[in-house]
Amino acid sequence: MKIVVAIKQVPERDAPVRIAANAKWIEERDLAWAMNEPDAYALEEALQLKEKLGGEVIVLSAGPERVGSTIREALAKGADRAIHIVCDDLAGGAGGGLRNLDALSVAKLLAAATKPESPDLVLTGLQSEDLGLGQTGVILAELLGLPHATLILHVEKTDAGIKAKRELEEGWFQSIEMPLPAVLTMQSGGTKLRYATLMGIKRAKTKELRVLNAAELSVGAPPVLVLDQIALPRKQKSTQILGGSPKEAAATLVDKLKTEARVL
Amino acid sequence: MIAFLPTLAEPHQFSLGERLVFLALAALSVYFFWRRFGPILNRIWQSKKDPDFHLRPVGRRVWDFVWEVMLQAKVIRERPLAGIAHALVFWAFCAFALVTLNHCATIFGLGFVDPAGRLGRLYFYFAAVFAVGCAVAIAGLFVRRFLVRPKWLGELSWESGLIALLIFLLMATYLAAFFVANASALRALWWAHTLTLLAFLPLIPHTKHLHLVLSPFTVFLSRGGFSRIPPLSGDEDFGLVAGKDLTRIVSLQAYSCVECGRCTEHCPANNTGKILNPKEIVLGLRGYLNEFGPGSDQLLLGKYESQEAVFACTTCGACEFQCPVGIEHVPMIVGLRRGAVNTGAWDDDHGAKFFLALERGSNALGMSAAERDKFVEKNALPIFDGTQEYCLWLGCMGGYDPRGREIVVALVRVMRHLGVTFGVLRKEKCTGDPVRRLGNDLLFQQLAEANLEALAQFKTRKIISICPHCVRTIQEDWKEFGAPPEVEHHSEFLARFASKLTPVQSQEKIVFHDPCYLGRYRGVYDQPRKIAALAGELVEAPRSRERSFCCGAGGGLAFLGEEKGERVSHVRAAELAATGAGVVAAACPFCNTMFRDALAFQASESRPGAPAPELLDIAQIAARGLPEN
Repeated sequence: MKIVVAIKQVPERDAPVRIAANAKWIEERDLAWAMNEPDAYALEEALQLKEKLGGEVIVLSAGPERVGSTIREALAKGADRAIHIVCDDLAGGAGGGLRNLDALSVAKLLAAATKPESPDLVLTGLQSEDLGLGQTGVILAELLGLPHATLILHVEKTDAGIKAKRELEEGWFQSIEMPLPAVLTMQSGGTKLRYATLMGIKRAKTKELRVLNAAELSVGAPPVLVLDQIALPRKQKSTQILGGSPKEAAATLVDKLKTEARVL
Repeated sequence: MIAFLPTLAEPHQFSLGERLVFLALAALSVYFFWRRFGPILNRIWQSKKDPDFHLRPVGRRVWDFVWEVMLQAKVIRERPLAGIAHALVFWAFCAFALVTLNHCATIFGLGFVDPAGRLGRLYFYFAAVFAVGCAVAIAGLFVRRFLVRPKWLGELSWESGLIALLIFLLMATYLAAFFVANASALRALWWAHTLTLLAFLPLIPHTKHLHLVLSPFTVFLSRGGFSRIPPLSGDEDFGLVAGKDLTRIVSLQAYSCVECGRCTEHCPANNTGKILNPKEIVLGLRGYLNEFGPGSDQLLLGKYESQEAVFACTTCGACEFQCPVGIEHVPMIVGLRRGAVNTGAWDDDHGAKFFLALERGSNALGMSAAERDKFVEKNALPIFDGTQEYCLWLGCMGGYDPRGREIVVALVRVMRHLGVTFGVLRKEKCTGDPVRRLGNDLLFQQLAEANLEALAQFKTRKIISICPHCVRTIQEDWKEFGAPPEVEHHSEFLARFASKLTPVQSQEKIVFHDPCYLGRYRGVYDQPRKIAALAGELVEAPRSRERSFCCGAGGGLAFLGEEKGERVSHVRAAELAATGAGVVAAACPFCNTMFRDALAFQASESRPGAPAPELLDIAQIAARGLPEN
């Protein structure tokens, strides 16, 4: 099975986020970067399918040069080859990569690079950890003219196509069957991720990494959605002291956790 | 006066037939020796060259040789009675070298030491003294092995009995020659001695007595440094994956094992019901080499080595420290782990999650770096900018663990009181200690390089840390990727200022637990005791200093979930509590966290009603005497 996995590089989860001077994006200097977690699960699912069925896993990522480290990580974990769509200077961004693009523009780039590969399956995370739009994979399916399913935890090959496990609300799951080729957006946590190994990194050095220039893919059309301003959430802290006997206080606490905080 | 003593008698004339029989038997003996020993030597020689091996500094090697081989210091120190007995046998062998040569030469009339001559008499008496010592010692060792039977020696082996008998015979036949005058009896004695000798030789490479020949070389050629993990070389080196990865030093060590079981006796994993037995790790490599040879692609983890055993090691180094023949167990065990982890063969839920957390985050506890920032901010810890004397390395435990933070806060109080300037890094990653010991070289390199870069920015010269694991990793393991700054453990720092610290003596007894990475790894024993003694009367645990028993957290095991069998920490905590001390002093945040739970368990389960001793880091003891703000 030939599988394309679209991955995105995002700021490391515990990186200190500061708003840039123009308030249009975060300050990228001194940031550490990592693979978007749902994309890591998409990659893992692809690698497991390949180990079971044979075939090829191609990672695809759009972004500036720094994205190379995440691509190498994917190759080190077992992807066979990679395509890097370099988009440094798009739409007036000074080295800003994807930040001036909307989900449609990114999906257009990914689609243009995916189409010539004619994969059996395209996997990507259901959303990114930075912007969290949750649209790129779905639009990509539309642009490729392929059926898609979202929130997938697990994929199995069947005679007719694939069987996929979707996560619904409140602990419900849905099992769906669909034909190939298809696009799936993957949910985190469906499987165990593998760790990167020294052998993987050494082997990755000899794997093919094709670099495409975003401008050459001629997808045209300016973004329809423009990021206007970002802001950090305002800190809200409120403390309530629950009175009464420990028993009463506990009962009130449970009630508040259920109705106000909604964590139970 | 020596003239009044009996003289060693030798037969004078040997017939041609006797000479021919001797030559034939000697050839046979040498043949059977070499038939076994040759291939062993070949397997060692055919092993991979050690990429980082340097003969220099030779002085250190000569000293190790004199101390450990000639003086038998390690053998004696760790098991005094059996050790002295062994030393007597060894010294007798050395003294006998000339005796044996002369003995064999006499059959051809070529004897070169005259038993009646002045020097000859002196020499033969010198050898006789050793022979008496050796005969008594070997008899004692025989009694120990076959009647007392300490469990560390393992199954009874007929070989050991035979060897003991032969050695005893060698000595007895030598000594008897002083008292026999009858010519035919003398001849019989000569032949008895000779036959014993010729029977002994081929037994050497067929039994663990191979150490007679190999271990002097093993000690002389050791890697040096304690538990030093050798660097990987080239693009195809992932640690000890298969036979082709075994280096000459590893193979030499594998064949040198004398199966004394000291390593097993002191192994915390083995003593608490894990399947790890360091002796079996070494003998496993030997078995592998015998069956597959050094160039093989057959995986090492399999028939001869168990993955579960390899990952049960706390890297406390007790085995290596005890080993009388210079075997370096920890690099072997870590080497096997590297082979499994660097190739992705190790599949462990806890391990994979731990590695992923460090791939994506900054600390071994898997917490957000913002938590560290909050701690730094809350305690107004200055940020290191190169102007302060010390860079205070928080480490994962000091930066994120509540108990570890208390230790840092205490140390900071002391440093402020002493007027020593310090600062903490704005961003700090795990030193890579647990991943290094678990064998993940990729992750270790990334962490070491990121940290070295951060430190280089400010031209850091001195680092101080509350964690012996951080200290060791920064000082030794980072060297592979750069030049780390000087680093010291807070016990060393505090001991220098001990005179300026006020003792707060309670009436209680206090017991200090030596952390493996401070004691055996760094050789620091007295400094933390000096500080601990500020709190009261110091008592020692049964196993202390070099023989300290691990807390169970090292080697990355703190992050691998529940252990099988008894918990190492419970065994050690019980031992510490049994000293009757009211305070347990620790000097490592990992020991601290292990004992916190273990001592509480002690108090609640195994000795209900008895109050748990108070657990304090030496920094907290030092801070107790300071004036409030």
